[in-house]
Amino acid sequence: MTVELFGMARTVAGVPQVELALEGPVDLGQFLRALAEAVPALVPDVIAPARDALVEPNLLLLDGRRAPQAGESFDAGDRPCVLFLASGG
Amino acid sequence: MAYAGPRDLLEIDLTARTARRTPLPDAVFADALGGVGLAVLLLEQRVHGPIDPLGPENPIVLAAGPFASTPVPAANKHALAAISPLTGLLNEGLSSSHFSAVVRRCGLAAIVITGSAERWTTVAIDGDAVRFEDATPLVGLSARETTKALRDEYGDRSLRVCAIGVAGERGVRYATVENDGRQAGRGGTGAVFGAKRLKALALRGRGEVVLADPGATAALSATLRERALGPKTAKYRVLGTGANLRVLQRMGQLPTRNFTAAQFEGAERVTPERARESGETYVELRAGCAGCPVQCEHLYVRRDRDRRRAAASEYESVWAFGPNCGVADLDAVLDAIGRCDELGLDTISTGSAIAFAMECAEQGLVPRDAFGPALGFGNGAVLLPAIEAIATRRGLGDLLALGVRAAAARLGGGAERFAMHAKGLELPGYEPRALPTYALGLATCTRGACHNRAATYDRDLRDPSADPDPPTRAAEAIAAEDRAVAWDSLVLCKFVRDCFVDFETEAAALWSAVAGLPLDGDGLRAAAQRTWERKRAINARLGWTPADDRLPERLLLEPIAEGPFAGRRVEPARLAALQLAYERLRAEAGTVAPVA
Repeated sequence: MTVELFGMARTVAGVPQVELALEGPVDLGQFLRALAEAVPALVPDVIAPARDALVEPNLLLLDGRRAPQAGESFDAGDRPCVLFLASGG
Repeated sequence: MAYAGPRDLLEIDLTARTARRTPLPDAVFADALGGVGLAVLLLEQRVHGPIDPLGPENPIVLAAGPFASTPVPAANKHALAAISPLTGLLNEGLSSSHFSAVVRRCGLAAIVITGSAERWTTVAIDGDAVRFEDATPLVGLSARETTKALRDEYGDRSLRVCAIGVAGERGVRYATVENDGRQAGRGGTGAVFGAKRLKALALRGRGEVVLADPGATAALSATLRERALGPKTAKYRVLGTGANLRVLQRMGQLPTRNFTAAQFEGAERVTPERARESGETYVELRAGCAGCPVQCEHLYVRRDRDRRRAAASEYESVWAFGPNCGVADLDAVLDAIGRCDELGLDTISTGSAIAFAMECAEQGLVPRDAFGPALGFGNGAVLLPAIEAIATRRGLGDLLALGVRAAAARLGGGAERFAMHAKGLELPGYEPRALPTYALGLATCTRGACHNRAATYDRDLRDPSADPDPPTRAAEAIAAEDRAVAWDSLVLCKFVRDCFVDFETEAAALWSAVAGLPLDGDGLRAAAQRTWERKRAINARLGWTPADDRLPERLLLEPIAEGPFAGRRVEPARLAALQLAYERLRAEAGTVAPVA
């Protein structure tokens, strides 16, 4: 599964995207554990230490257009993106 | 306990060259808190009907933030309000840093300036004394040059100055007022200064700012400062707002070529993140306001250029000259931003005016060679000549200096279709067709199309696919508006907004510790609502009606062509339903008359 990274996630990881060894649909917890394993530096500023949530204001959007609902599974075809908006200015 | 902070109101009449200083009663601070709340209250007392924004009767109100010159971090700020020559309605801007602090060290809560000077004037405020100085030698200088000249003249490096540049002198309707390198940018208060022939305010104040409860203030400030150095503000400290560009491009919400598209093929070439990543090409400099731990400003300049030419890379400014003009040349964009700061031009409105002119040129409504290099989307070479022409009001620049609404009205020929504004204020760089709550906020905002007074895009972006019913969405928009008023009255930088666990309760406690008057979370919410109602009341006196709460036709008629939100537009019936729900909720909550 390819994960696109933006903002702090991208800066911390040092790459614009990472590949996760995940097959089939996963829920948010499985996704975040795999992402933390692939890029340990994302913990704790982007991924919470318990690896079960993103740290505000980071958020996960599927294809940049919708947030996964509670308990929803998603796969590579949903094009997960970790991003944030630095609003104001 | 009485209000502990500086409480004097200084009323300056430039026509009569008089100054009068009177203490404001506790009730004023209990009612309006400070900053925007105080500025709006003082303006409401002075605006009783339609006025000429460029006439002597338009009052300029400068109100200090109640936390300026205290240990509260990210709070050395002031509000600057007047009737806007761009919208004809209330305009309240914010600026910050040392100047804001010195206003309070002069013992002042607010300054009201009316009248019009016979010749260019600097008003020098030195503690209790006020002098009217000839500013003729300063005409033509930038705000930064003006500050240096006044410091040299007075032999005082600590002198704090707010001033206008050439654009304000020439009456460009979106001219800024600058202090300490920061601008009260939107809505053209710089032109109001210029119309009064007021070049600068120069302040020297060394008075003590008394805290009601120094211990509580220190403790609460320390907590906020610690949080402001944590992950909640990392995005501003590490990346700055320029990081929005890549995000919005990915989401298909990056207004491009005057809102004719929502993704820009050249986005990667102008993103400030790329400049940061390519350290061999650009030098990154950091800056920020006095007393702020975040230091959010990220400036860039090519390594082979003078570092004094480094330009700020705020998202809105980069967007205005980059994607919105279709320009994929970061050097051209940074040069445009830097030149606007020198001339005293609002970058959002300037970029929007040029994008409007580019589209008009492509449609044959204005000459392609109006500024020399071909006027059209994508040509970065035309940015600087266009900016110079706007600031000095030459040729087509004279028309664009009026703002896109007035320029389109004068041009005719259907140019109104290309004028992207709400109530005369040019749109900022978010895509209303993909952000429904934000679209409602843009329409209802008392200032016009301001993203900082109707910051409802936060809610939309957290889950762009959510589709709450109109009353729920309207309630969210109202809550965002009122919270923005609370922030702007305190005046706290919105970049630390995620640093509060319970904003209203914590911020009210902070205000009480500093000011010495009781305030709780509900009281803060009520004060914010009062100020919002005053804003609308002022606008109503100036001729505003709900029918003016419109969005540009393009957003209603032309769907986004491609990207994740392809096909989206602002459905007119949906927007009308949201506005109706909004008006009903406002009427239920306060004194606003119901709208049929």
